[in-house]
Amino acid sequence: MTDILASLSAVIAESSVRELVIYLLRNVPGFPPIIQTVHLLAIAAVMGSIVFINLKILGVAVPSQRLSEMIQRLLPWTWWALLLLAISGVVFIIARPDKYFFNPVFGIKFALLTPAVLFAWIIHRKNSSEPGYWEVSVLRRVSARAIAAVSMILWLGVMMAGRWIAYYDYLFWPD
Amino acid sequence: MPLDEFWDWLQNTDLAFAIGATWWFPLLESIHVIALALLVGSIVMVDLRLIGVTARSYALTRISRELVPWAWVGFVVATITGTGMFISRPGAYAANPAFQTKLVLLALAGLNVVAFHTRVMRGVEQWDTDALTPASAKLAGLISLILWIGVVLAGRWTGHLN
Repeated sequence: MTDILASLSAVIAESSVRELVIYLLRNVPGFPPIIQTVHLLAIAAVMGSIVFINLKILGVAVPSQRLSEMIQRLLPWTWWALLLLAISGVVFIIARPDKYFFNPVFGIKFALLTPAVLFAWIIHRKNSSEPGYWEVSVLRRVSARAIAAVSMILWLGVMMAGRWIAYYDYLFWPD
Repeated sequence: MPLDEFWDWLQNTDLAFAIGATWWFPLLESIHVIALALLVGSIVMVDLRLIGVTARSYALTRISRELVPWAWVGFVVATITGTGMFISRPGAYAANPAFQTKLVLLALAGLNVVAFHTRVMRGVEQWDTDALTPASAKLAGLISLILWIGVVLAGRWTGHLN
């Protein structure tokens, strides 16, 4: 794994895309905060879509909204937000691949993000093929609650970890 | 200037020192991100219903009654964590043009909330469940959307100038 990341990091470091990104980051006024704002607004969209669906499943938010309708209406926002997050995030990875690929907090972030995305996909997929899927039996309602509770922790963890990438030396002192 | 002396005093308190010199700052900052995402995520859902683009099958008053309290939770947590970060270097933040812009945009967002309650929401019974909202509601929603995006941008920019 480390070897793959090392060679990927080396490929990015030598690519002309990296030169372009570094040029943009250094020369376009406000480019770094603007790209980071896109990232932050997309995080807000994740909060306003999948996180609120999880809160609804847990019975703590939006009591008058219908779960099945919420999933159909809001989960597409999650997928578009994740696309924007990937694009805005990749800009910074390309600029400084070593800072991310060899950063334990970056690893933690993606270890949390992967199951969070998978759970969101399962919730969406099941409800699309059978609207109301998560509400029709006790077993499914309990499963939905378990998925929602774990997902909440995962998403909040992803958001925390994302900010801590820049501060990893507070947590892991370099050897 | 007395204000500068006050910022100096504040920056030298034990609390400000603890925040500025330890992992407290990134902790506050990461909670600030979650709080702003909650605030913006919930208020944007209300704004989009006001503009008339999403959740049209729900009454506006229901959407706002169920989501605005979440926005307030986000706002309160963001204010507490933001104040914590501010006192670590108050003089520098007060002089930071991005931070000053952020405060102006926040004040405008506050005025928009007041205008929303005193003008748009008065007479809401007549169009509460309509899919299409009146022009004043659309305007309030659009202004809110633009101001909060501006607050996030100015807030993020603050870190690049400090």
